[in-house]
Amino acid sequence: MFELKPMLSALWRNKVSALLIALQLALTLAIVSNATVIVKDRMEKVARPTGMDVGNIIAATYMPIPTDYDMAGAVIADLDLLRNTPGVLDASVTNQIPLSGSGSAGTYFNEPNQEIGGENANYYQVDSHFIDTLGLNLIEGRNFTPADEHVVGPNDRHHSEVAVISKQFAEKLFPGESAVGRFFYAGNTDKPVEIIGVVEQHLGAWPGWSRAGNVVFYPLLVTDNHKRYLIRTEPGQRDAVFKEVEELLNNRDPQRVVQVETLSKNLERTYIGDNVMIKVLSLVMALLTFIVALGIIGLTIFWINQRTKQIGIRRALGATRANISRYFLIENSLIAGTGLVLGTAGALIINRLMVSEFSQPTLTLPLLAVCAIVLLLVSITAALMPAMRAANVSPAMATRSV
Amino acid sequence: MLKMQNIRKSYRTDTIETHALRDFSLEVNEGEFVSVTGPSGSGKTTFLNIAGLLETPTGGQYLLDGQEVGNLSDSERSRLRNEKIGFIFQGFNLIPDLNLFDNIDVPLRYRGFNAKERRRRIEKSLEQVGLSARAKHLPAQLSGGQQQRVAIARALAGEPRFLLADEPTGNLDSLMARQVMELLEFINEWGTTIVMVTHDPELARRAQRNIQIVDGQVSDLRQTIAQPEAAIA
Ligand SMILES: Nc1ncnc2c1ncn2[C@@H]1O[C@H](COP(=O)(O)OP(=O)(O)O)[C@@H](O)[C@H]1O
Ligand SMILES: [Mg+2]
Repeated sequence: MFELKPMLSALWRNKVSALLIALQLALTLAIVSNATVIVKDRMEKVARPTGMDVGNIIAATYMPIPTDYDMAGAVIADLDLLRNTPGVLDASVTNQIPLSGSGSAGTYFNEPNQEIGGENANYYQVDSHFIDTLGLNLIEGRNFTPADEHVVGPNDRHHSEVAVISKQFAEKLFPGESAVGRFFYAGNTDKPVEIIGVVEQHLGAWPGWSRAGNVVFYPLLVTDNHKRYLIRTEPGQRDAVFKEVEELLNNRDPQRVVQVETLSKNLERTYIGDNVMIKVLSLVMALLTFIVALGIIGLTIFWINQRTKQIGIRRALGATRANISRYFLIENSLIAGTGLVLGTAGALIINRLMVSEFSQPTLTLPLLAVCAIVLLLVSITAALMPAMRAANVSPAMATRSV
Repeated sequence: MLKMQNIRKSYRTDTIETHALRDFSLEVNEGEFVSVTGPSGSGKTTFLNIAGLLETPTGGQYLLDGQEVGNLSDSERSRLRNEKIGFIFQGFNLIPDLNLFDNIDVPLRYRGFNAKERRRRIEKSLEQVGLSARAKHLPAQLSGGQQQRVAIARALAGEPRFLLADEPTGNLDSLMARQVMELLEFINEWGTTIVMVTHDPELARRAQRNIQIVDGQVSDLRQTIAQPEAAIA
């Protein structure tokens, strides 16, 4: 007992208001679906595994005050002290702190003296405790041993013969093959570096970098003017150890400036922009959806008020309350359906632009469909209350009002 | 056909209570054409609304076609209205957004007839009121008299046993009023019971029986078609 044909012709006579709501829904779908892609992309980015036991790691940076400082000796003594501190699982030296935003990168090649091509990667100068300290998952080959470690002066031309690299970088250098036992070249040199191990994942210094995840570790200690330690604590011990670290280091050797931070803080700072984007866009989506819902409620109420007499007539002619509610809900769904079809087209057009002009991710059809269904449900829900109220119009309205 | 006993209807607002009908009793027999007259505000429309199941009485008993309708649910009342009762209103009450065909279709769709049956009935009833050529017109494209004939066609299409008309000629000039009246008389001859409220004494007299409502009660049941001259004299 659908009244589709007469309903459509009645709608056609009120096409301006109907089209306005349809367009509002279309615009909402276009914006919401594109915002959803961005939010989803950012959320996936934020949720990417860092590869590290971020929650239990402390980083300390120190700079000695004297100019003729025995850096290598200090590192051995400090690490020995830290590793024997209660609550500490392991400690390691490094040139840069992961997720901190500061780091070093180089270009790496498969062939000696290769001039063009190459792949960029973030590199770290570390020791044989580094992989365990960060909690990295070594999936192939071996870890560094103390025998691999070398100490070099700040002005020496340094070169390591071995390296551990990330899986992502290994796949770039040697697609589809095992990288362990293979060699690569750092810059335009003829000195090969042997890959002795591969770790599953490490986001490096800049998670927002397009090459984030390309990482190389060398077992080197460069005795420049500052050094950094990474300290992994037992679960739950981080904050207690954090309070002690500065004092411990200063007590062993007061001639330096020490600064302590946690990797969690770094990670948080890394994603501030993304998290703001996620929040702002979510708010925009919620607001738009809310406004479109209000619009639909408003229009439905307006139309119902305009047609109170007609509802009374229909009731007098035998419509049940359910007939009346259903009429307005179907009418609303027709408008919403039109809007969502237009919105689907709009969403795809906008997304084309977002992809080409702002290199945003592509809007997939399933995601678009989910957004459309959500908006359809919102629209039906919004029309529900007015439609139920319409059923309360008395059939006597047919005779009572002029 | 219709039997009302001691029907009461009162409307309450915050401040006042209006007794639109009190102790209202009336019987209308199958096939009768009854006209209802009375001063404005006396309760004529209230009576029609209760008779047509558009409103429920505050008290009393109402038997429609032998069935006690006081305890029916809202949807049962809707179904009875749809199947047994045809309405004709002073203001025509066509749906402005729908053409004549679709207007007549409205109650037939609620009735659940299939498309073929609906079309047959719509075409037949349009023919009965002489407007077959206008099926695709909108109500606004017709004169008042034509609109009222469409409304009658809409009421007839469901083949109701019982036709209720509230001042059906109130908005029409006398020529058109007479045409509408002739149509109603014709319908009555084919067996439909009609109750018609009117202000027009001439039309009222043409009915088989006239009842007068004064102050929410039937004032004079003796006034029948047998004594029109006596009433004038
Ligand atoms: N919905 C209502 N609320 C309050 N009073 C009403 C309502 N409908 C009718 N009345 C009152 O009931 C009385 C009878 O009205 P009605 O049946 O419309 O009279 P008539 O049709 O004879 O002019 C009038 O006094 C009218 O004001
Ligand atoms: Mg009246």
